[in-house]
Parts: sequence; C-alpha cells; structure tokens
Amino acid sequence: MKVGLVANPVAARDIRRVIANAACMPIADRANIVLRVMASLGSCGVSTVLMMPENGGIKRHLSRSLKHEKKLGHVDFPSLHYTDTPVNGSVEDTFAATQAMVQEGVDAIIVLGGDGTHRAVAKYCGKVSIAGISTGTNNAFPEQRESTITGLAVGLVVTRKIPPEIAVSQNKMLKVEKNEGEKSDIAIVDVTVTTEKFVGTRALWRSENFRELFVTYADPEVIGLSAIAGILRPVGRYEPFGLHVTLQSPEIAQTVIKVPIAPGMIKPVGVKNFEKISSQETIVLSTESGMIALDGEREIGFGPEDKVKVTLVQNAFKTIDVSACMQYAAKAGKLGA
Amino acid sequence: MSDNTLILSKDQLLQAYRMMKTIREFEERVHVEFATGDLPGFVHLYAGEEAAGAGIMMHLRQEDYISSTHRGHGHCIAKGVDVKGMVAELYGRSSGTCHGKGGSMHIADLDIGMMGANGILGAGAPLTCGAALASKYKKDGSVGVSFLGDGASNAGNFLESLNLAAVWDLPAIFVVENNGYAQATSRDYAVAVDSYVDRALGFGMPGVTVDGTDFFAVYEAAGEIISRARDGGGPSLLECNMIRFYGHFEGDAQTYRGSDEVEKIRKNRDCLKKFVQQVTQVEALTQSDLEGIDQEIKTLIDEAFDEAQKAPRPTEADLLTDVYISY
Repeated sequence: MKVGLVANPVAARDIRRVIANAACMPIADRANIVLRVMASLGSCGVSTVLMMPENGGIKRHLSRSLKHEKKLGHVDFPSLHYTDTPVNGSVEDTFAATQAMVQEGVDAIIVLGGDGTHRAVAKYCGKVSIAGISTGTNNAFPEQRESTITGLAVGLVVTRKIPPEIAVSQNKMLKVEKNEGEKSDIAIVDVTVTTEKFVGTRALWRSENFRELFVTYADPEVIGLSAIAGILRPVGRYEPFGLHVTLQSPEIAQTVIKVPIAPGMIKPVGVKNFEKISSQETIVLSTESGMIALDGEREIGFGPEDKVKVTLVQNAFKTIDVSACMQYAAKAGKLGA
Repeated sequence: MSDNTLILSKDQLLQAYRMMKTIREFEERVHVEFATGDLPGFVHLYAGEEAAGAGIMMHLRQEDYISSTHRGHGHCIAKGVDVKGMVAELYGRSSGTCHGKGGSMHIADLDIGMMGANGILGAGAPLTCGAALASKYKKDGSVGVSFLGDGASNAGNFLESLNLAAVWDLPAIFVVENNGYAQATSRDYAVAVDSYVDRALGFGMPGVTVDGTDFFAVYEAAGEIISRARDGGGPSLLECNMIRFYGHFEGDAQTYRGSDEVEKIRKNRDCLKKFVQQVTQVEALTQSDLEGIDQEIKTLIDEAFDEAQKAPRPTEADLLTDVYISY
C-alpha cells in the first residue's frame, strides 16, 4: 500500500501574518505533522509514503527525525520516498508531484496546506482520493483535526478495512475559462472577482474591491471569501448547487454584512444580490476588468476585451471522509490491536 | 493597515521602473568595467534583485534610514544616492560619494538616510536598531530598514538585533534578501531553521515571505509592513525570495551553480521583464514610456563612467580627512 503526501512548506507565510495576525506554523511543526501521519499509516500496515520534494525544510527535518526515531527503536514508519519531480518553490511543484503520485499508483494523497494547496492537488489527483490537514491561512476546505486521526483514517481506507461507499465523498469544483480555452483553471471552494490590477501578494482583503463571488459550498463557521456566501445562504459541501454573489463597495451597497474574510479580520462587504448556480451551469463574468482569485489567491488577470466564464462541476474529485471512517471503524471494531 | 491598494499612479510606476532599470544598467556596466581591471577592490552585483530594493524603497522617505550589505549598489541607487558619485566612489576618486575612501562596500550618504553598505555580514542590523530607536524617541514616524542576505541570517549580530528590536518595540524592518546562496554555500547546507519567517516568530515579531522577483508583491507587502512600523506596530521581517544574475563577487567562478541555472533565471525570473510585462498588459505604461527612460538611463550611466574615469584621485593631503568626526 502506498500513500502520497504533499506538504506545502510555504503555506501560511503571506502578508496576512502582518495585516491580520494569522497563524504561522513553523517548518519543524509541519515535519512533525508528517511524522504523526506516518506513524498512523505505519500502524495500519501502509508500507510506503511517496512525498513531494521541496526545499523549504520539511524534507530535511523529516530526514533528521526519522534517523532519531530509528535510533530510538521506533521502526514502524512506512518507508519514505520522494517523487522525481522538479523543485522550484512554486505551485508547479505540487502539480508535478501530484501527477507523479497518480502515475505511481498511490492509493490516496494526504495534503498539508490551506485551500490553495488543496486546490493544486485537486487539479491533478484524478480518481485518487485526497485527505486534507489544515496548515494554511484560510482553511475552508481542509477540516481542523489532529493529523494522527487523519493518518489513521487514510491508513484504514487504503488497507481496505473501510468500504469505499463509507470512506469516499464526491466534491464540487468551479472551472474558470478565459477566452474559450486561452487560459483555464479550477477552484475547490471559491472564485472571487476583484478590481485589483496585479497578483501582488496574492491574498485578498480589500473588500471594497470585491465584485463577484462563486462558491461550491459556503459555511458561516469558516473564514475567507466563501464566508460571504456562508452568511447570506449556507450551502452544504454535498448539496447539488453552488452560489453566485454579486458584490459592490460597502459605501454604495444597500446590504452590507460583516464577514471574517481572514483570521482576525472582520470586514464590511457590500452585497448586491445572490443566486443559486446548478451543476454544469455556466456564468459569464459581468465585471469589466480586474483579477480573478482562486480559493483566495489572485491568479488570473482580465481586461474589457476578455470573456471569462465560471462553471460549477459536480463529482469533480474525491475526498476521504475522516469522520465517517473513524465512526465506522469504531462501530465495526476495525481498530482492534 | 495602510490604504495601499496597489493602484500606483503612472508617475509612481515610472519611478519604480527608473529605479530598477538604473540599478540594472549600473550593475551590467560595472560587470564590464570590472573585467578590465581598472576598478579597485571587490564588487558584488545586485543585478536580478532589483524588484526587492525598489519595492521597499518606493515606500521610504528621505528621513527613513536604511542599512545595506556588501551587495549594496541597488539599495544605494533606490534610496537616492547620486549615481555619478557612486561610480566615482567605485573608482576611488575624490568626487566619489565618500571622497573615494570607501569603495563599493562602504558607500554611505547620511543626508538621505543611507547608513552604508557594509562588508561585515549582518552588521547593518544593529545600526538599523539605532536608527529606529532614534525615531521612537523623536516620534517622527520614520523607520529603519535593514537589508541582509540569507548568509547573514546566521550571524549573532542579526539575531541579537531581532531580539533588541522586539524588546524595545522599534519601528525596524529586517529584509532578508534570500538569493539561495551564502557566498558559495547553499542555504540547505548552512541554515538549521529553513524559514526566516520562523526566526521572526521565535523573536515574537511577524514575518512574511514574498516573491522577491515580483515588484508588486514586494511593494504590497512592504507597504503594509512599513505602515505598521510607522504607526507603532513594532518590528517585522520580510523575506524576499530572489535570484542573482552574477556570482557572489565579480570573478566568482560559480562552480556551485548548475550549468544552465543563470541562463534559465535570466529567461524566466527576470524581475524587470516581469514588471514590463505586468504594466504593459494592463496598459498602465506603454513601451514608448519605458524606452524614453531607457535612453535617459543609458546617457546617465555613460556620463557617470566617463566622468569618474577622468576624475582626480584623493591626494596625500586627504589621508587624514573624513577619518574622525567631532560630535
């Protein structure tokens, strides 16, 4: 049994550390999370972990720690290997590593990061299920949970102790297409249209510039852009529709709501209207020019001459439902020593 | 939080381009002239790293102080040091910024807040704490900015300065220009805590990492950090991930780099190319706007080198001047 593992060393390093006191998980802690996941996987009988290489320090900490663990007699860890993919310190590393893991036939991919990292994996994971661990800034997609438990759930799933119909959930996705295929990309939680001109630090927080928002699901208990929709009209992860919200500056909007758009940052957001979007429905952006943010990060610029459309896609990729797995495992006695 | 919305005026965009392009042309010319053997001492070139210096310095005022590194030409130009004086300084001429007695690694101009390039790794950091302490006492809203390389981040003076800035709650900003190499030693080999943001965290101050090859990423992050310091929010650390086009110093054989590494980064990660593409794509500037500046800068650099080569050297009578200062 082989499990892929993507740990983003640069998640939670952006400007929101300064403007919003966002959390900043040290590299050593990220490496420790990986170790805890590996301990869980090993206890379930997983033999191999295939990890994304990076130069941010996680690999080096892991190497040291695994040597220590071996010296201490803790030898139940799966063997650790790295994908033979380039390291550029950008999202391209995640794309390449995910593709390599799929080609290598991993049974599942565990992801450490925020919404952006999970988006990067979801883009290329194909039919392989992913399990998320929050180490990012806005973590609407990955649930907050101790990584040991996520590791156990994944270990039980890939060793066939939990049936797929219990373990695996289907997820929605938003496809963004500029000028009929000139540029296309995806988002797993939200697509935000802002009047900003440049990618800059990528993060979004100037709510007066927001113009449109598309969400696959929306929860009033999360932070980030999808929280706007979550406050207006919550949408479940597995409900067969999403939401499109038209926004405007709070100064001119008739409806203004307070939204936690980043950790510790509650901003007024002006709402013009909102509507449900159904599966396979396509909406053309009505904003003249600006930047499109995918899962909270500015990515695609567009001008008046560009036509950009957003489509909601059902059953786009699979995730492991950790809660369902652990409940089943407890009831079915799958964790007997 | 500042009202920085990344909407720069046309004049500001032209100013940013002028800064970066002047640094690039200056360094490319120094590279050529150093090879002739006429330039004394060592030079360390900033080419490829311009977006970091410019993105930060665009937010600074004359009364803000910076401390620089051995790779200081870019910081000097961006802070406003006279380019002709700098070239004359490199040649050791009496018309130089420091009357020809400092050379590349000691260019300083206190009148405009440039506390000096510095040949000692990390040595600018305590100077910045001093400037920031003065600002705090005077309550004038100025800030101190310390530029350091990734190699200096292991130096005790840098780590002590982080502590001092945090303990005294100083309006100080520490900019780690991480080009991946400490002279010829890679970060992977020499730095135990890989993330400089983690170091900031250890001293109780926020840290941010940005793409140092993207002017707008640096500009936006620096705007927030500097504004925070001016408003009493205390010190911060900004890590700029960047690349250098040339070796650690001119003459460095660079055997530690991949054979096509420089070619690739010049092609794919050139901050000036990226800036031009970004501003022309959104039609904020035109090629014609940029070409006009290119010509001005070329003339300036040609004149600076021509005048410096003809300028007189210091005489014996100058030996004991500029050595001690009376307070």
